[in-house]
Amino acid sequence: MAEFLRAENLTKSFRGLVANENINFSIGAGEVCCIIGPNGAGKTTFVSMISGHEVPTAGSVWFKGRNITGLPVHRIAQMGVVRKFQTPSVFSELSVYRNIELGVLASSCPARERHGRVLETLKHVRLSELSDQRVGSLSHGQRQWLEIGMLLGKDAQLLLLDEPTAGMTAEETHSTGELIRRLVNELNLSAIIIEHDINFIRDLRAPVTVLHLGRILMEGSFEEIAGREEVREVYLGEQK
Amino acid sequence: MSALQSTTALQTARRLGVSESGLAIVALVGFALLPIFVSGYTIYILPQYMLYGVMAMSLALLWGYSGILSIGQAGFFAIGGYIIGLSFKWIDFGNPAYIAFVVAPCVGAALAGVLGYFLFRAGVRAAYFVLVTLAVSIIVEQVAVSQSQWTGGWNGMYVPRMSLTLGTGTEISLFDDGPIYYFVLVVVVAIYILLRWLVTSKFGKVLLGIRENEDRVISLGFDASLYKTAAFMMSGALATLAGALYGTHAGFVSPSLGGVLFSTEVVVWVAIGGRNSFLGALLATIVVASLSNYLSAIAPRYWQLVIGVVFIVVIIHFRGGIAGALGRSGAFGKHKRGQDG
Repeated sequence: MAEFLRAENLTKSFRGLVANENINFSIGAGEVCCIIGPNGAGKTTFVSMISGHEVPTAGSVWFKGRNITGLPVHRIAQMGVVRKFQTPSVFSELSVYRNIELGVLASSCPARERHGRVLETLKHVRLSELSDQRVGSLSHGQRQWLEIGMLLGKDAQLLLLDEPTAGMTAEETHSTGELIRRLVNELNLSAIIIEHDINFIRDLRAPVTVLHLGRILMEGSFEEIAGREEVREVYLGEQK
Repeated sequence: MSALQSTTALQTARRLGVSESGLAIVALVGFALLPIFVSGYTIYILPQYMLYGVMAMSLALLWGYSGILSIGQAGFFAIGGYIIGLSFKWIDFGNPAYIAFVVAPCVGAALAGVLGYFLFRAGVRAAYFVLVTLAVSIIVEQVAVSQSQWTGGWNGMYVPRMSLTLGTGTEISLFDDGPIYYFVLVVVVAIYILLRWLVTSKFGKVLLGIRENEDRVISLGFDASLYKTAAFMMSGALATLAGALYGTHAGFVSPSLGGVLFSTEVVVWVAIGGRNSFLGALLATIVVASLSNYLSAIAPRYWQLVIGVVFIVVIIHFRGGIAGALGRSGAFGKHKRGQDG
């Protein structure tokens, strides 16, 4: 398979505090990967180095054969590597339609087809009914979906989803998992997902990477990971 | 209580189907017919207030649509005034006014472009940007004072009234107040339409996104600093063009035209009218400037107090200005409901 995204010896330190150390990671086109780890494990920092929000101290990030290390955020986004933030980052004063439209405007979609693209994207994230609503009036879960919708409107190739189910009910979490699986299958997207919700990760049936103290502790399927004593100790144990 | 009242006003306006475009047409017809009923000083002074209004609209584009406040708009306006004055002094071919109308917006855009490029690229945030624009006003005023060999210093500079010339050698004099009234009105309407179109374009939508959540816009792949620079350039160009036309209309420009005092006055007009509405900014400017003029004649001691109180009342009761209270127009197409805020 042609190379999609690869991180090589990625290291980030903030004034001596090492947030990520020598991370080697790769994901193929159409693949999904979950990143788990206790608070402070460096999950968000890792994703930020891919999206360009943080510049690595050492190491490099390659996307489709191009070195994207340290490029400005908007340039990386233009290539199709787009990010959903931990707290939904949307345009609260604008309508749901306008939010998605901004995503579509960021894509290469020709002007004539924009409206159709917005409607289609609204359907994908099941917000068609709320098209005219001001985003400020949406529930937390709906905003999470809206933000994912914006990323879809822009021709995303790799979704970086930082806690997409944070603040969701069990039911919402479940349907978010379904949504992501559906998007990945239908649109052939790749996704790197940071999550805490164990049920969500299990349902996703995707490879899991465990970060601990800024390093990769282990990688494997959910079952493999869940069975390992050291993972339980650093992460799962902490949950109980 | 006040929130309740403004909500009711908003709903009433919607029920009545008041749209910005409708109000704009009513206002246009009103201004077009006005010279039939009144003459003299009113017809002389109104075009100047309309041009202040263009400056206010240029600020609304920046402040209301992009979330960037500038208190340097009068600096640009004054530059335009001096450019047309120098144009009449120095240029003895063609129509000096036409040349000024080309040069002025270019100079305004270039100045804004240079400032915007460096400030926005460096990630300078709103509060610091305001200070830089404040400096623009101060510098323009100081340069106008110090470079008296060109500008006339404190004595100001006289500017002749322009004429319209056509390629065929025909010349239409705008020396009388009536003809130039209509010329200014046409220019103001054209700029208003341009701005309305601009904010419904992709450019305008992205600006609105930047106002709401700049990080999100960048993370979607837009070069926000480029958009902000372009908005500032557009704003600077329009304010400078308005200043040039003002110069030839008023016949006189002086350093205080670019001063901080005048710049902050523009901010007050826009805040009263509603920074999210070009029509609101335009009409509020005309009304408040007229009111100031009138009050300064009948109550020279208290008129600024009256304007100040109006400003405070509007800011407290309607954060979106008067236009915001009347409900947003169809400026954003059919999905306007999500735009109120």
